[in-house]
Formats: sequence, C-alpha cells, structure tokens
Amino acid sequence: MISFRNVSKVYNGSVKALNGVSLHIDKGEFVFAVGASGAGKSTLIKMIYREETPSGGQVFVLGKDLAKMRRREVPYFRRRIGVVFQDFKLLEHKNAWENVSFALEVTGTSRREINRRVSQALNLVGLLDRREAFPNELSGGEQQRIAIARALVRNPDILLADEPTGNLDPKTSMEIFSLLERANLYGTTVVVATHAQDIVNNLRKRVVELRDGTLVRDERRGAYSC
Amino acid sequence: MFSQTFRSLWRNKLSSFLSSLTTGFALFLLGTSFLVSINLGYMYQMAESQMEIQAYMNKEASDAELAAAVTQIRDMPGVSEVKFVSKEAALEELKDMFKDKASVLDSLEEDSPLPPSVRVNTTGAEQIPVVVEALKSIDVINDVIYQEEVSERLAQIGKAVQYLSLGGMLIVGIVAVMVIANSIRLAIDARRQEIGIMKLVGATDGFVLMPFLLEGVFLGLLGSALGTGFAVGVYNWVAGKIAEFIPFMPIVGLETQSIQEMFGIMALTGVIVGLTGSAFSVRRHLRV
Repeated sequence: MISFRNVSKVYNGSVKALNGVSLHIDKGEFVFAVGASGAGKSTLIKMIYREETPSGGQVFVLGKDLAKMRRREVPYFRRRIGVVFQDFKLLEHKNAWENVSFALEVTGTSRREINRRVSQALNLVGLLDRREAFPNELSGGEQQRIAIARALVRNPDILLADEPTGNLDPKTSMEIFSLLERANLYGTTVVVATHAQDIVNNLRKRVVELRDGTLVRDERRGAYSC
Repeated sequence: MFSQTFRSLWRNKLSSFLSSLTTGFALFLLGTSFLVSINLGYMYQMAESQMEIQAYMNKEASDAELAAAVTQIRDMPGVSEVKFVSKEAALEELKDMFKDKASVLDSLEEDSPLPPSVRVNTTGAEQIPVVVEALKSIDVINDVIYQEEVSERLAQIGKAVQYLSLGGMLIVGIVAVMVIANSIRLAIDARRQEIGIMKLVGATDGFVLMPFLLEGVFLGLLGSALGTGFAVGVYNWVAGKIAEFIPFMPIVGLETQSIQEMFGIMALTGVIVGLTGSAFSVRRHLRV
C-alpha cells in the first residue's frame, strides 16, 4: 500500500529531512511515526500524499510511483487519501457541515450522495448535532473531529495524520485517537505522526522512529521509546 | 460557483472597480476610433460619389463678375460641363439634403451663409489637375475642392486616427490586462488557504481556477459595458454638437449595422482582456 525505497529528501540543497528511509506499510495497518521535532516525520507524511516528492529513492503509494505521477493525476490520487493536521485546516467561513461536504463537492458528487455521506461522517465523529456551528464556535477537539470527518467522508484507502493532537489536552487526544482507531477498524490504513507518548504506549501499534531523517526503529506493537 | 465569484469581487471592491474602469477606458478608445473611422468611411463614400470639381467663389462678387467667370471656365480646355450654383440654390440644396432637420436651417432663410460655386466636370480624370490650376487663377474663385484631394485627406486623417487610437488602445489594453491580473492576484491571495485545502482534498486545477477565470471575464465584461456606455455618450454628444454647428456633415447613426457589430466586438474584446488577465495571474500564482 505504502512503500518507501531508500528515500531521501533534501530541502534547499543542504537540509536533509530524510536520509535513505526504506519502509513498507500494508493495507489495513496502523502505524505511529515518532521522533523529535525535525526528525522528518512531517516530510514522511507529506510524501505519502505527494505534497513533497523525494530527492532520491522511490515512493509507491496505492500502486503508483509518485515521482512519475503526472500533475493532473494528483487530485484524483488525493481523493483516495484523507489528511488531518495539527491546525485542523478548516475553512472559517464555512460551518461544520459545509467543511465536510466541501471535500465531496470538489469531486462532483451528487447532492443526494453528499447529504448521505456527510451526515454519516458527522455521525461517526459524534458532531451531527453541531453541523451548523462554525469553526470558531467549536472547541479544538471538536474542530479536529470535523477535520477527521472531512478526511473520512470519501472512505479513503489511507488516513494520514500529522500531529493531530498537538494542540489538544490528553483526554480530548484520547478521543481523537479512538476515532483514528475506529477508521482503521473499517479497513483504512492509518499513519500518524505524533508526540503523544502516553497514547502510543497505550495503544501498542506498529511504531517507526525517525532520528535526523534516518529510520532508527521499526517495531510491531511498539512503545514511544525503547 | 457564481456566488463565489461575486463574493470575491465584492470583497475586493476597489480593485474590481479599478480593473473594470481601466478595461472600460481601453474599450472606450477602441469604440471611439471605430466610430470615427466608420464616419470617415462614410464621408469618403459621399465624396467619391461626387466626380466633379467644386470651385467656391467669393460671396461678395457681383452677378456680372460671376457670370464672366462662368463663361471663362466654359471656354477652358478640358472642361466638359459647367454648372453654376448660386448662394440661394446652394441653400436650397442643403435644405433638400436635410429635410428632416429643416428647423436647423430655418434661421438661415434670410441670408445664405454658403458661397456661390461652380461644379465643373472635365473631359477626363487626367484633366483635373490642369483645370484645378486654371480655376485657381480666376480672381473670384476662393477655393477649389475636388474629390481626389478630399478623399486623400480623409484617408490621411483616417490612417492617423487609426494609428493613434491603435497605439493608445494597445497601451491601455496592456494596462487593463495587468490591472485585471492584479485584481485576480488579490483574489487568489485572499483565498490562499482555501485553495490549499481544496487541493488537499483533491480538487482538480480546473475546479480551483474556474472561479478566478470567471471573475476575470466578469471584470472584462463590466469594463466593456462601461467603455461602450461612455463611448455612446460621448458620440451622441459630439454628434449632437456637429449636427448643430455643421449640419451638412454626414454622421452615421448609432442604429447602423456596423455600429451594432462594433458593440459585439467591444464585448468580445472585454471578455478576451478579462480572460487574458486572469489566466495570466492564475498561471503565475496558482501553481500547486
């Protein structure tokens, strides 16, 4: 499903964000990417949805070599991937419902299908009754749940999360992670870059650790640090 | 999608307004030069239909003097036909030509402001310059006008007007494209975050840029409406003034087909200017 072969990424000619990373993630896996800030976790995530392309090596996602993917193929590729960020990236002038339906509108889904799937997704994250609320009327945890609903509304093959709980308290974080786990139960491959030590330790999923752009650990049922 | 376009236009009211105004100005120049050349063409046609030399005589000359001059002209070599037109006859002719505007001429009833003239036909076109020279040497003749000269002059004026307005149009047109491009850039900047998220969730480039192209087209159309309105206003005003002061000057009415076509061309040009401006901006500022 996701395959990194000796991948390097150099920014501005000198800053090495990734250095010879090889990694394989199967369909249906739940993977934590851990490591200090600047270790390359975000770059790893960005490469999976082709926000970044490798300076060296190859990245295969959903059976495609991303370096060879044409520009106009990228939107269709991204429709199969949901992404969640630390800062939620919701549109301030759209309410909860519109923020989620937006992801389907850009793909030209029918109004009826949109209504069905948006209410399903909002229901999944437990915010159907808050659908009229605008982002500034929602708590951080609620905003992130809307973002997750937006990521899941298209039933993506892959769900990526870059520090999804970086701005949230531990209890809310736990709720967010249980949503990610739920998505994983439905068969979505989940990759989460995180600093949430306790949660990683509790959930005992596969853990890959990066240090200065190098993959230093890849452990089934791992802990945050060894 | 349309509502998005209008919201964005409204958000950048000032720059939208300025872009339309600049486009309007460019199209105003286009329209005006159109109108002027249409009129020059019309005048040219009118002049061409008169295959004769007109010699205007001194208004103060006595009838005897005029009669002597006419005889003299008749005897000139190369002259085939001479027709004398008295002051009064000239006025009658004028009135006849502008029946519908007779009221304008009523005040001239008493004393014709027009000079008496002779219309001279030559035995051949090559005789024209010779006859013209001979006519000029006659005392009571003040001015000699013949078709060739008129048409030459009109052609010269027409060319000058066309070059001048083409140059002006080009400059203002480029400015209009740039101003629209800038307006679209502002719109793109205002929606950077939204564009980023759209791309993130898999919106195609076409889907993302369509509202901006629409916005440009709309600005261009608005500009062409402004320019056309302004050109029509000025034209009507000038035409009115001309009809008042130089009533015998032929003016093409706004309802003529060529002018109707011009409006279509103006609108099309507006769309092209708008599209060019926004495409320019979208290409530069909307890269993934």
